[in-house]
Amino acid sequence: MADITVLYSIIGAIITLIVCFIIGSFLPGIERKFVHARIQQRIGPPFTVPGIVAPIKFIFKKNLEPNSPAPGIYKSLPIISFLAILFILLFLTPQMYPVYLLSSIIAIVGLLKVEEICYVFMGALSKSVMSLSMKFPDLVKGAVHTDVIRSHIEDISSKRSLRMITYGSFPLYLALFVPVVCSKSLYIFDIVKYQQIHGPLLFTTAGILAAIAFFIGSLVVMNECPFNLIEAESDVIQGPYMEYSAGYRSIIYWTKGLLMFTLAALFTIFFLGFPLNIFSWNIILFIVVALIYTLLVGIFSAFTPIFINRQLYPIIISSTLLGVLAIIVGILV
Amino acid sequence: MSLKAYSRARAIHVMLVYTGGCNGCDIEIVNSILSPRFDAEQYKVFLTWNSRETDVLVVTGPVTHLNKDPLIKIYNAIPNPKLVVAAGSCALMGGVYKNIHGDIPSEEIEGPVENIIPVDAKIPGCSVRPQDVLSGVVSLLPKLLDAD
Amino acid sequence: MIEDKKPRKGQFIETEVPMGTVHPAALEPYRVRFFVEDEIIQEAEITIGVNHRGVERIMEGLPVEKANALTEKICGICSNIHTWNSVLVAEKGLNIDIPDRANYIRVIMGELERLHSHLLYLAHGCEVLGHETFSMRAFYIRETVMELLNMIGGNRVQYGVSLIGGVRPRCELNEMRIQKIEEGMDTLEKNLKNFSDRFIADPIVNSRIEGVGFLSLKQAKKLEVTGPCIRACGYEHDLRTEMKEYNDFDFDIITLDGCDVRSNLLVRALECFESIKIIRQAVKNLPNGPIVNRSWEMTDCDITKHYIEAPRGILYDSYALEDGRVRSSIIRTPSLTNIGATQYACIGNHITDGQLCIVQCDPCFTCTDRAFEIINL
Repeated sequence: MADITVLYSIIGAIITLIVCFIIGSFLPGIERKFVHARIQQRIGPPFTVPGIVAPIKFIFKKNLEPNSPAPGIYKSLPIISFLAILFILLFLTPQMYPVYLLSSIIAIVGLLKVEEICYVFMGALSKSVMSLSMKFPDLVKGAVHTDVIRSHIEDISSKRSLRMITYGSFPLYLALFVPVVCSKSLYIFDIVKYQQIHGPLLFTTAGILAAIAFFIGSLVVMNECPFNLIEAESDVIQGPYMEYSAGYRSIIYWTKGLLMFTLAALFTIFFLGFPLNIFSWNIILFIVVALIYTLLVGIFSAFTPIFINRQLYPIIISSTLLGVLAIIVGILV
Repeated sequence: MSLKAYSRARAIHVMLVYTGGCNGCDIEIVNSILSPRFDAEQYKVFLTWNSRETDVLVVTGPVTHLNKDPLIKIYNAIPNPKLVVAAGSCALMGGVYKNIHGDIPSEEIEGPVENIIPVDAKIPGCSVRPQDVLSGVVSLLPKLLDAD
Repeated sequence: MIEDKKPRKGQFIETEVPMGTVHPAALEPYRVRFFVEDEIIQEAEITIGVNHRGVERIMEGLPVEKANALTEKICGICSNIHTWNSVLVAEKGLNIDIPDRANYIRVIMGELERLHSHLLYLAHGCEVLGHETFSMRAFYIRETVMELLNMIGGNRVQYGVSLIGGVRPRCELNEMRIQKIEEGMDTLEKNLKNFSDRFIADPIVNSRIEGVGFLSLKQAKKLEVTGPCIRACGYEHDLRTEMKEYNDFDFDIITLDGCDVRSNLLVRALECFESIKIIRQAVKNLPNGPIVNRSWEMTDCDITKHYIEAPRGILYDSYALEDGRVRSSIIRTPSLTNIGATQYACIGNHITDGQLCIVQCDPCFTCTDRAFEIINL
């Protein structure tokens, strides 16, 4: 009897993952077509293309060995970050609630950190043709500073992602701890149960403050437009992803969509208090929240230029303070 | 239509390499990709600046001396199947810089793009019109779909 | 005015980041080496000469009409102004008077080109800023001008309007064209006004561009910066006020004293309105008569110089004529001096702003890459 329950749970979790993956891969296209293109007054690409068709196309391309000191590690990094997000989704499903330790906020924060850390290594290991390797007679007679260390643009991007890890994603983690403080438990099961009894956390003071911090923090984690310093086109072109071709690039594309859905799902679970169960009508709520979230992200990114340190510090510090305030309010109330 | 052909027809990533010339073609092409007037994205043509992501390489300009090696490097960095479009009369035959001169010819032009990398489609014009660029890139589709 | 807080030369340099020759923020091929310490630029070195085609060299000994057509190929953004100036040199050397109507049409084309160049600058600036929506908007506004240029010149980029003695017959302005220009100016003014209002009112964009790429007036004068760049530093200088071609027109010189990217962008946006004003005056007072004076004779003449205000600054052209052929031609484009300013403006800024600082001076490396000897490597 117990065996059958475990089997059902595993099948349920896998189906959830597949459904989430399919929904997630639509999101970048929806953002591009219905938000960005709409605001920019043009027609824009079909909404299936950026998230689904383009990655499929890249699968059919021939892979080239990346210019990297450690190609093996470099190529494994997108898979690691994809799996990290997939595991977050897996631990969010109610089927995994019995696995107590993993289905807690600690595991989610840890896995999100793994995803972020990958960018540092990607940046450090990528040596693209677009900057230093481009053949050009630089160090000729008359050139200034011919004896300094020379770096690729990805090295800069790697340093930036290290910085983003140290302070950029604070708001997100602080916001995630507000439900923990309110429900006095680390486990997702308890958080969901608490909110089903006491009503969604979003409609409390602490919840609203935390939701704002969550939104800004999630933009930083996703590297969406105003916070995409690590892949700013005006200097580092695509940053850490520069050298991925063929299948590895399609994983990068899918990771983006999946991460978007995962963050929206995190929000629904932690602030609205519904379990991610595709066998109930709750899944509709998850899709609606994901769409609203995509819409907000799209609008926010369409009206802002890239933030550099001068804008980044105040925004992140203020939203960190907002997160701290939300936790304090959560403790007191 | 197989999944391969279907997906290739619906996502074409274009990279522009500008190898000298007068800036006209270059701005017209980026403009045609970018501006809402022509909006190449509605025809599933995307502009990228990363050679690893590229399907179609658009080359403009008569390939000056210092631009030859970067062009070859970028071409080699593109994963297969890849196609090259030469856009503008400079890229097709060296333009005025190679063909018109008074007493002294110009020595810096490494010749049309064909001399350096294989070219699959040519878009004439000085400078190329955005409509021509779009039709040129789209005309490569059969070749792109048949490639393995 | 903001204090000049540039770091001194020779400070600690952590690493060097080269960019180019193919780079999305630049489009044009050039190499820039940023010497950074903790992502703050300590020094920048721009290497040009990548797209050297030797235009002056191939002009040597060409018939003057052909050479004039060739000057158009120096630059795709300001192609008309190059031809205009080259034609003016010949007219000055051969003492040719041109009909008023031809001059008016030339001015209209010159100002339309200034509009398209400035709008391109705004769009490209927003693109480097990372603001895709504003960039798209500016490109969309620019299409109105491109349409008018296409209508008059017959091509979107190389129009070939001026020729010795007047303008080409295909560029004659009839009733229909005049009406279209007037309508175009109305749409343009409306759209541009909306765009600039939005741009100035946007607090995030303002915080991103204010104080970035600072270039003091003293330094700008030392580097002989020309055009809108020096006007953005608060120095009132516009060659159009001294040119006899612009005698009949009434317009203001725009100066701002921010010395940063913001004032550079705003000077261009405000100059667009002045250009619209000039075009309206020209269209309204367009004199009747012929558009080309063919009664001139080719004689030899000494080296003749002529200066003109191009969209980017002062353009210099000079050559001598010998049997109807061009001898010892020299063209000095405004970007040549502005490149020094870009190198200086980068210092002390974040590396993401580095490309913005280069773009702020509106350099056209394609124009400038002519008079250099290639080193054999």
